[in-house]
Amino acid sequence: MLSRKPKKSVLFAYLIVPMLLYVFSVFVPLVAAGFYSFFQWKGGPNKTFIGLENYVTLMKDSVFWEAFGHNIYLVILCVIGQVGIAFLFVIIINSKLVKLKGIHRTFGFFPSTISAVAVGFIWTMIYDSRRGLLNWFLEAIGQGAKTQVWLNNPKIVMTLVAIPLIWQYIGYYMIILLSATASIDSEILESAELDGANTVQRAIHVILPMIKSTIMVCIVLCVSGNMKAFDNIYVMTTGGPGNSSMVMALYGYKVSFTQQNMGYGSAISVAIFVLGLLVIGGIQLLSKIVNKNEEVV
Amino acid sequence: MKRVKVVTTLLLSATLLASTMLSGCGSSNGEETNKGGKESESVSSTQGTEKEVESEDSTDSGGTGGEVAFSGELTFLHFSTSEESEGNGGSDGFRTTIKQWEDAHPDVDLNQTVLSNDDFKTQIATQAAANDLPDVFMLQGMNTKSWAEQGIILDMTDIIKDSPYYSDYNTNYFTPFTSEDKLYGLPALTGGTCTVVVYDKQAWEDAGFAEFPKTWAELEEADAYFKENGYKETLAFGNSGQWQLNSCFMSAIGSRFTGDDWFLSIIDKEGAKFTDQEFVDMLTFTQDAFQSGIFNDDFNAINNEDAREYFISGESPAFVGGNWDVSYIQATIQEEDPDLYENMGFAVLPQPEGATKTENTQNIGMGYAVAINSKLKDDPEKLAAAVDLAYTLTGPDFATYVGENYALQGLTKVADIDLSKFDEVTKAFYNYSYVDTNASEIYDSYVSSAVWEVLNTEAQSMVNGDTTPEDVAEKTQEAYEANY
Repeated sequence: MLSRKPKKSVLFAYLIVPMLLYVFSVFVPLVAAGFYSFFQWKGGPNKTFIGLENYVTLMKDSVFWEAFGHNIYLVILCVIGQVGIAFLFVIIINSKLVKLKGIHRTFGFFPSTISAVAVGFIWTMIYDSRRGLLNWFLEAIGQGAKTQVWLNNPKIVMTLVAIPLIWQYIGYYMIILLSATASIDSEILESAELDGANTVQRAIHVILPMIKSTIMVCIVLCVSGNMKAFDNIYVMTTGGPGNSSMVMALYGYKVSFTQQNMGYGSAISVAIFVLGLLVIGGIQLLSKIVNKNEEVV
Repeated sequence: MKRVKVVTTLLLSATLLASTMLSGCGSSNGEETNKGGKESESVSSTQGTEKEVESEDSTDSGGTGGEVAFSGELTFLHFSTSEESEGNGGSDGFRTTIKQWEDAHPDVDLNQTVLSNDDFKTQIATQAAANDLPDVFMLQGMNTKSWAEQGIILDMTDIIKDSPYYSDYNTNYFTPFTSEDKLYGLPALTGGTCTVVVYDKQAWEDAGFAEFPKTWAELEEADAYFKENGYKETLAFGNSGQWQLNSCFMSAIGSRFTGDDWFLSIIDKEGAKFTDQEFVDMLTFTQDAFQSGIFNDDFNAINNEDAREYFISGESPAFVGGNWDVSYIQATIQEEDPDLYENMGFAVLPQPEGATKTENTQNIGMGYAVAINSKLKDDPEKLAAAVDLAYTLTGPDFATYVGENYALQGLTKVADIDLSKFDEVTKAFYNYSYVDTNASEIYDSYVSSAVWEVLNTEAQSMVNGDTTPEDVAEKTQEAYEANY
């Protein structure tokens, strides 16, 4: 009785509500943004159809492309920082030397439960030039000359705003990777150990290939997450000094709401979406090529 | 199979991106550093002042005496939240007056939406874009021209001329809400300065200055003294939100270099350019001032909320900010540090060398007006109710309340405020704001946010020394030509 397949109409009835919600909250806004991006729409209800002009402006908008560059930089840092360090932590936690694994897991995951805005505030305080932890630490170890107004240095500000993001999400990827390593048959690891493979060798030659697809998922998540980075940067620098830490989503927000240029803001949103897809597609392609090469070898 | 997987992953990531972009927009609400509060926030009440409405006021309050025949719902969007009204004269007076009007008009169901200023700005921009403005709302000066052109706000010229209080209005306040000689709103809340130097009189006296310096050369002299005597800087300033440099520095100093006609010409598009030499001179001066070391070295990394703490904690002998900072400082140190409170002095920014157009200026005005949705034209009874509400909120009841309780001025002039019951600091700030100084326009009450955004962003790099004043001027001019 229980295993009897429900009727198609029942399935449909159950699915219609979430599907409608999904369509309204994801699809409709996306299509609407695409539609509005063809209009000049500056504060107030009047819209003028201008065809592709917003996109032409976008192509020449140096601030947007600078922001795109910052997003890519952020993606690279975060893939290395978040997924890379998370993998390292997984290896460490899985090693026999570490006790209280549950506690490490819990506390490792902790930062990703905090809102990005709160994380931004915490790190703003750490970077604060007068009362911040970082300058205090440098003073304490006798490196007073290296203290500076951190968030006002355009050369390093992108790295500085990336650090809280990395810190926040290591635990998140750690949990995903931990569950992947848990499914590796322990016999494989034991036989590798018997063959004389040390921890590093086991990590690189046994664990890594076995959780490759999970790592790929992590990278996709990480890229899509950082292509739309917004909250903590908004809190820490609002894109400053100047445009030194401007990212695409923040620029889109500023154009749409602060500058009340909704048409162009919509074009920026569409561009973020397209560029995000392109970057993710590029990574997929890259991984495919790598896989193929491996197969040949 | 693999192909299916790739497609699925792509679809999944598309969804992720889309949904996260949406949530990105949502989560930003309410997080923005409070900028716009500046026009509305004002001096807090001081000892011995009474917040309650005196009974004699309430007898004749709650309307213009005109009959309001309308019954039904009237929607009203504003930003005087109850949190903000604590200690803030303008908000407190506004809320009190609304309450009185509501009580006097039981047939009108006044449906208020009250948001914090940041949320308010996003909300009103969105509603304007959707042509769905509330019946009555707060209009920010720089939106006037564009919304008037699009016909979504009511031309109130005749309504204002017919006001029973018209003869008492301080007509200077109407400028930001004027477009092509028509008036689009009744300036609301209180007139507050956006640029004031708050200083510790005792510290400056110790440094050999009986009053705050009148020139930047003297300021540099003082800087040497203060640095030797344990202070971190001479002037504390915070610009990480990027608007502060515009609102609390350049807008006041600009008038000294360019004169007021230049800015009027910018507003009316009569030929003045941001690339004009006098404006570039102002930018150059601003860059030099911030590079001179007089200010705290982290001015671009902290906000005005942090910078004023440097003054409160005694690290800086002076702070540059707006009236909203003054009300916070007053409220904070009144009990915590009564000595510093007693010694609080107020001064204009010193005169830059080479600036000859105006002197002793500070930018002051009313940034918001009560405006009415143009759709109300078709419903004369409802319109009459809205007009009555607008008259009341900007009329003598409001002005008397904020004058008696907070020593502040509104749109309507009331008989001279009796300052004797206020303490010296409140009196000094009243005199600074309304009596002893010359008023100049607040830049971002006019033109367009698209222009100021560019100026603010570029100027932040400029005061770091990363771009030149000429570059900043050029980019601002480009944005001006493209957006205004």
